[in-house]
Amino acid sequence: MTRKDRILLVDDEVSIQRAVAPLLRSHGYEVDVVGTGAEAVTAVADKAPDLIVLDLGLPDLEGAEVCRRIRKSSKVPIIILSARSGEAEKVAALDIGADDYITKPFGSDELLARIRVALRRVADAQEPEVERVQVGDLTIDYNRRRVVRGEDDIRLTPKEFELLALLAHNTDRVLTHRTILKAIWGANAVEQPEHLWVLMAQLRKKLERDPGNPRYLLSEPWVGYRLVSSPAG
Amino acid sequence: MTAAADWRKLAVGLAGIAGLTLLFGQWTQISNATTVALGFLIVVLLVAATARLWVAVTVSSVAMLAFNFFFLPPFGTLTIADPRNWIALLAFLAVSLVASNLSAVARARTLEAVARRDELGRLFDLSRDVLLITESREANASLAAFISRRFDLDSVAICVPRAAEWVVFEAGPQPLTLDSAALSAAFHDLGADSGAAGAGSAGAGQRVLTVGPRSVRVVPLRLGTRPIGLLAVAGRSIEPGTFDALAGLAAIAIERAQFLDARKDADLARQDEALKSALLASLGHDLRTPLTAIRVAAGNLQASWPDEEQRREQSDVILTEVDRLTRLFQNILEMARIDAGAVTEDTRWVAASEIIEAARASVEPALRGRAVTVSLDSERLVRLDPRLTSAALSHLLENAAQYAPAGSPIDVTAGVAGEGLTIAVRDHGHGIPALDLPRVFDRFYRGANAGHRRSGTGMGLAIAKGMLAVERGRIAAENCAEGGARFTIIVPAEMK
Repeated sequence: MTRKDRILLVDDEVSIQRAVAPLLRSHGYEVDVVGTGAEAVTAVADKAPDLIVLDLGLPDLEGAEVCRRIRKSSKVPIIILSARSGEAEKVAALDIGADDYITKPFGSDELLARIRVALRRVADAQEPEVERVQVGDLTIDYNRRRVVRGEDDIRLTPKEFELLALLAHNTDRVLTHRTILKAIWGANAVEQPEHLWVLMAQLRKKLERDPGNPRYLLSEPWVGYRLVSSPAG
Repeated sequence: MTAAADWRKLAVGLAGIAGLTLLFGQWTQISNATTVALGFLIVVLLVAATARLWVAVTVSSVAMLAFNFFFLPPFGTLTIADPRNWIALLAFLAVSLVASNLSAVARARTLEAVARRDELGRLFDLSRDVLLITESREANASLAAFISRRFDLDSVAICVPRAAEWVVFEAGPQPLTLDSAALSAAFHDLGADSGAAGAGSAGAGQRVLTVGPRSVRVVPLRLGTRPIGLLAVAGRSIEPGTFDALAGLAAIAIERAQFLDARKDADLARQDEALKSALLASLGHDLRTPLTAIRVAAGNLQASWPDEEQRREQSDVILTEVDRLTRLFQNILEMARIDAGAVTEDTRWVAASEIIEAARASVEPALRGRAVTVSLDSERLVRLDPRLTSAALSHLLENAAQYAPAGSPIDVTAGVAGEGLTIAVRDHGHGIPALDLPRVFDRFYRGANAGHRRSGTGMGLAIAKGMLAVERGRIAAENCAEGGARFTIIVPAEMK
């Protein structure tokens, strides 16, 4: 690593700052700490962080508003820290462009893993556009719009492939229901999640060995879906 | 109509007869019997129309005698020579009797109408009183008082059966002593306990009980056909129809009070729900944040990377957050104890300075880095619960430390005067936004714009208020003209 990844920790709780900042530093990240949304927006311009860890309970701005302001100028990955009571705010922030969320209370490993995934995704995106991607034992061929498991060709309808491709372009990242509905069916469909339920059920039936207990296409309850690049087991 | 008025009318009537006799017999020399009779008849009619029967009869008799004596031949005697004159005389008497009877009936009707109007007015006033009853706990007692006042009754009792006993709500200057057996008997006797509806005619469902020397009228109170109790009155007599109407009104008032009760229960249940969800939302944040810090810091301590200084830092994070959780749980427990009525007063003689010292000591960590100035008016002792008072004060100090900028001073002033102990806590922050002022003592209320800014739980001021309430104390919040907020505690107490 020629250059340390730089993380901006946005949290007004001193204890969180005191516990999380040393943890991140000890894992080789450079860490800047701010306590308000306004400072966070400024720091994005000044420090050009590679990743932002954003607490939703900031004193000055709503979490979604902070995301929106950051997104105006930067595509930096944002991981949201949320308490359970902030469900709606969390989804709003993800809709606006946050990349992932983690629910308090979380452990160090969980946080570090989410950070690694988000940073890797950025690194992947900077490489030339790939024609195919490997997810577990699945190979997704974007050009030929085919999915292969081992030797078997899995036939997908155009919509099913579109959904899979969308998730595969964002592996390990949670995509909200709204985001998926908007990308596949257009802005008019965001209030009709039943399209998504049906399509996801079809896709799981074709891709998952046990559709009732999916390993690749994971559901994030009340939030959205995530395609896992290296499923456990 | 009084007796004096009757005598006066009698006198006027007799004077009228005498006047006419003189007029016809002495001065005008008119002796035509028909003319004289008609003149007398006018006087008799006028008297009969305005006076009572006996006055009318007396006047007509006198008129008849005078007519006979002075104007019917043979003059000067009461003998009647011509049989035709007997008929005139009888007609004379009949007219006067009929006229006086008719007028007496009309007058009785008028009096009755006036009485009815009076009782209707009382019923109307009572119904207005009933609508003004808002405190359901006091409803039956106030209802009895209203009935007694509006109907000028010596005693009114609303009796409601509860299990085997009778609960009696009494009002009026002469209390009744109603025994349960008599009430049960009357209740049974009136068919009330069997649920049979009272008979149709007014007053049919009423009974008279004899209590000592007094007679008490009793009527069942019914909701629809369901009997709910008895209304007993003594004193002024009330027309039976009115008494029935009164019982109906009382029953409606009791039902209304029950509705009020039910609504209050529902309101309480709803508030309880709101409180629970506020508590959950508050805990969602207040528990998760310290837990996260503790978990991450503990993980850090287990890892190999921290050096000695970093380990101290991480364990300090854990200790700080554990303190915060402890405070949170203390607050929750205190609030639960206040709610459960488990906080009791334990008074002793104490100096104000002691209370302030204790309060400062208990929130010492929160006050670190601040100047707290204390000024005492006097060293008089007060008799109150020092534990409750200083706990309430400590929540005020903690609140001031949380909301005023770091390092700004906090002024505490105490005085023992007036009704007891007064302690004011004044900070030098931005004051309380006008929007928040009415709600600062609400549980879990942390200010409309505070968001999650402060680490407080939104319970401190509510707890302070609850604790002071146990010792009948008060608390008030205001903004000082020179900036900053001031919270004032007043605890009524003996002084020496």
